[in-house]
Amino acid sequence: MSGELKPTETLDVRGEVCPYPDVMTQKKVKSMKSGEILEVLIDYPLSAERIPESIKKMGHEVLKVDKTGASEWKILIKIK
Amino acid sequence: MIEPTSILSGLIIGILFGFALQRGRFCMNSAFRDIILLKEYTLLKAVIVAIIVSMLGFHVMASLGIIQLNPKSFFWGANIVGGFIFGIGMVLAGGCASGTTYRVGEGMVGSFVALLGFMMSAVITGSGALREVKSYLQTTTKITITEPGPLVTTTNTSPTLANIIGVDPWIVVIVIAIIGIGVLAWKRKGGEKTEGSLSEKIFKRGWSWWATGIVIGIIAMIAFPASAAAGRNYPLGITGGWSTFLNTLTKGDANVLSWETFLVIGVVIGAAIAAGIAGEFKLRAPGPRRLVQQFIGGLLLGIGAVIADGCNIGHILSGVPQLAIGSIIAGFSIIIGCWVTAYILLMRK
Repeated sequence: MSGELKPTETLDVRGEVCPYPDVMTQKKVKSMKSGEILEVLIDYPLSAERIPESIKKMGHEVLKVDKTGASEWKILIKIK
Repeated sequence: MIEPTSILSGLIIGILFGFALQRGRFCMNSAFRDIILLKEYTLLKAVIVAIIVSMLGFHVMASLGIIQLNPKSFFWGANIVGGFIFGIGMVLAGGCASGTTYRVGEGMVGSFVALLGFMMSAVITGSGALREVKSYLQTTTKITITEPGPLVTTTNTSPTLANIIGVDPWIVVIVIAIIGIGVLAWKRKGGEKTEGSLSEKIFKRGWSWWATGIVIGIIAMIAFPASAAAGRNYPLGITGGWSTFLNTLTKGDANVLSWETFLVIGVVIGAAIAAGIAGEFKLRAPGPRRLVQQFIGGLLLGIGAVIADGCNIGHILSGVPQLAIGSIIAGFSIIIGCWVTAYILLMRK
C-alpha cells in the first residue's frame, strides 16, 4: 500500500458478531459522500465474503479485499 | 456406558459436519434473517439443498431397510412457544445452535459465551427449575396418530405430512423436492464462488451454496444409520449433545453420554481444523455489551430448543426431511421468532 488509495474513513468491526459487520458497514456507506473511500477492518469470515457482494448490489465500487492476517481482512469501498 | 465405536463414529461425523459448517458458513440464523435484513438468499439456498438431499437420502435408506424413520413428536404448544423463543435467541446470540457451535471452533469468544448460556439453560429446562414448563407444554398439547405408516418405526406415533393424509411418504417427498428445486431455480443467481484450484476451493475459500448444501445433506444422511447403531435412532442434533455434555460434567454420570455428545465435540474440532487451514482461526471478542447480549441469546436458545424438543438441526435439518409435523411447525416458529427480533433489533430506524 503505497498510499495510492487514502481512505476517507475507517470502520473497525473486528470482534463483532453476525450480522453487525454488515449492518454497520451499510449504515456507514449510506452516511458518506460520493467519491469518498471507506476502509473496513473485519475478522468475521462470512461478512468478509458477503459485504463486497452487498456493497456492489448497492451500486458502490469495491476497490480491494485484502487478507491482512489470520482471519483478518481489509475492504476498501469507493462510494458512488 | 457408550461403546468406544459409538464415540468414534460420533466424533468422526461431528468433525466432518464441523468442517462443512465452517467452510460453508452454514448458519440458519443468517439464512433466515438475511431474507428480510439483507435481501440475501445464498445461505437459504444451502439450507434448501441440504433438506432436499437429506430428505431423499433418508427415504431411500428407509425404503432399502437400512434405517427406520423416527419423526419427532407433535406438541403444537411446545413447538410454537419453544421455536419462537429459539428464534429470538439465535438473533441475540449471533448464531443458531449449529452456527454458535462451529464458531466456537473459529475462536469466536462471543459464540463461546453464547454456548455456555445455551448449555446451562438446556439443562435447566430439561431437568432443572424450568422442567415443569416444558412438561406442561409438551403433555397438554401433544397430538398422536395410531398408524405411523410405511418407513416409520412401528412404535412411533408422531404425525407426518404423509400419515395424516394417509399417502405413501414418497409422494410427499417428491412434491416437496420439486417445490424446493423450483425455488432454487428461481433464486439461483448469487453466491457462486468459482475462482481458484480445487484444493483452494475446498480448503481456502468459502464453499458455494450448492456444494455446502449437498455435503451437509450427505453428512445428515450417514449420521442416521451411524447414530442408530449407537442406540439413538435419529440423525443429526446439537442441543441434546450439549445438554448431555454438561449433565455428565456436573453430575459425574457417564451413562448420560450419547452419540450426540461426541458429535458436538467433533463439530468444534472440525470447525477449528477447517478455520486453521483456511487462515480463519483467531481468538476474538466483541465488547462487553455484545457479550451480555450473546449470553442472553444463548440462554434463550437452550430454553427454546428443549421446550420445542429440538433446535434448528434436530427439527429443520433432521425432522423436516422426515416430514414430521412437529418439526415443520417448530421450524416456522423459529423463522418467525428470528424475523420479529431481527426487525426490532436491526431494522427499525
